[in-house]
Amino acid sequence: MINAYILINMKPGNSDKAIEKMRKIEDIAKISIVAGEYDIVVRAQVKSLDRLLKVTDSIQMIDGVMKTTTQIIEKEITS
Amino acid sequence: MKIKIRKRYLFFVLAFSSAIIAAIVSGIDTIAVKNINDQWAVSLSCFILAFIVSGSCGLILSIPIKDKSLGGKTIDPTFKRLRLLTKKEVKYHLLAGLGNAIMTIGYFAMFPLLDNNASLVLPFSQVAILYLIITECITEKDTPTLVEIQSSIIVTFGAILGSISLTGNVSLETLLIVFLVINPGTVLFSTYQRKLKIMKVNERPNDAINIRVWNVVFALLFTSAIVLSYDIISGGSHFYYGILVSIQQFWWMALIAFGTFFSFVFYIRALGIGKASVTQAVKASSIIFSIPVTIALTGIGDFSDPTMLVIRIMGIVLMMLGIISFAVTLAKAYIFIKMETGYPIEGTMKRLWGIKGINRVNAVAGPYDFIIKVHTRTLVKGYERILRKVQEIPGIKEYRWQSVLKEWEDI
Repeated sequence: MINAYILINMKPGNSDKAIEKMRKIEDIAKISIVAGEYDIVVRAQVKSLDRLLKVTDSIQMIDGVMKTTTQIIEKEITS
Repeated sequence: MKIKIRKRYLFFVLAFSSAIIAAIVSGIDTIAVKNINDQWAVSLSCFILAFIVSGSCGLILSIPIKDKSLGGKTIDPTFKRLRLLTKKEVKYHLLAGLGNAIMTIGYFAMFPLLDNNASLVLPFSQVAILYLIITECITEKDTPTLVEIQSSIIVTFGAILGSISLTGNVSLETLLIVFLVINPGTVLFSTYQRKLKIMKVNERPNDAINIRVWNVVFALLFTSAIVLSYDIISGGSHFYYGILVSIQQFWWMALIAFGTFFSFVFYIRALGIGKASVTQAVKASSIIFSIPVTIALTGIGDFSDPTMLVIRIMGIVLMMLGIISFAVTLAKAYIFIKMETGYPIEGTMKRLWGIKGINRVNAVAGPYDFIIKVHTRTLVKGYERILRKVQEIPGIKEYRWQSVLKEWEDI
């Protein structure tokens, strides 16, 4: 399993609709709306890098998404 | 196609379903126990039937449908099929099973002391929430905040008020059993079930159904051992009578076991999401739900006294307030960190993980080097206890705090 965070910058105005669309994308485990440098942080859980590409691709196809930054998780500690 | 829901809601749905089922079960308990006078035997037969019922439920839920199992489709998405335990799990299961055995024996031992009225026992069991907060202070990474302590106390007092009976008398003996037997048992049980639920088994999250089934197995072993040794010391025959009761009262006990199975599977899933004390507090709402059950079983007679009614309503309002404040005060945030070169990743990860309130540390490839997830009850604490500590770590070039405003997740 490959886990990655995708940090998203949005154009102002369309975030509700965009999130509705993101909630339907498979392989996305978590969607957080955040305040700060980015607007949305998505956690993707995919089987291969190929699938990750598909996820980022379908996010970029959503209207209102301005820029995505993908951060692949190399190591994780969690409770 | 999967649809994500907000994790916060799922937690409450699970905890409330568990509470509703628990309320119904405690009603049935009262009826079933009236016919049996031997409390040791009841505890034992409870686990014998729980073993049979959970085992068969587990097997039925393991039936594969397409690529998933029946249980995975309906109750817990992480469930595949019943499986054997790994070595790591056995240790926790021993402790959780012992906790469950102690809790159950204590619970049934209260019945004869309180004229077989479960509603007298339940309120004092809720004090376990406070025990859990104390244990979490010692063991969990995140110390309880004022809000958590405050809400827990409100819920506990609400639970006590909400179910207290003005006619019943409570003896010192009963209080001792509650505080020294039932509550410590509950703490052991909840703490280790939570540890089991958040544990990863073969790279997959652990599921609630296996945890419940195996918990019952270990609890049955411990109960048998306790009842047998009591028999040997006192020269009684509770063990034999326990088996007899399981056969004679098969349907009543099976019904209890069936309800308990689902109540606990939901409870364990909720435990995997929230802290043990918070889950226990929400589950304390079984007291609210037990009121209609009591009315259905014993008639409206209990409510004829208006003072009693007022006290109960006060208790319920307090509980609701406590639960709502748990729900609305949790703040989450991400911190993105950029590092200077020349600092080993492993060491920095360990230092970050050592900070209380950080519950996920990720080393990532991309513009940032670490992404950490923070849970905090107040933003002041987020700064005082977390950000300041992060800044102290050598080698951090840049960091960005991103407060989470709303979140969806599939579990």
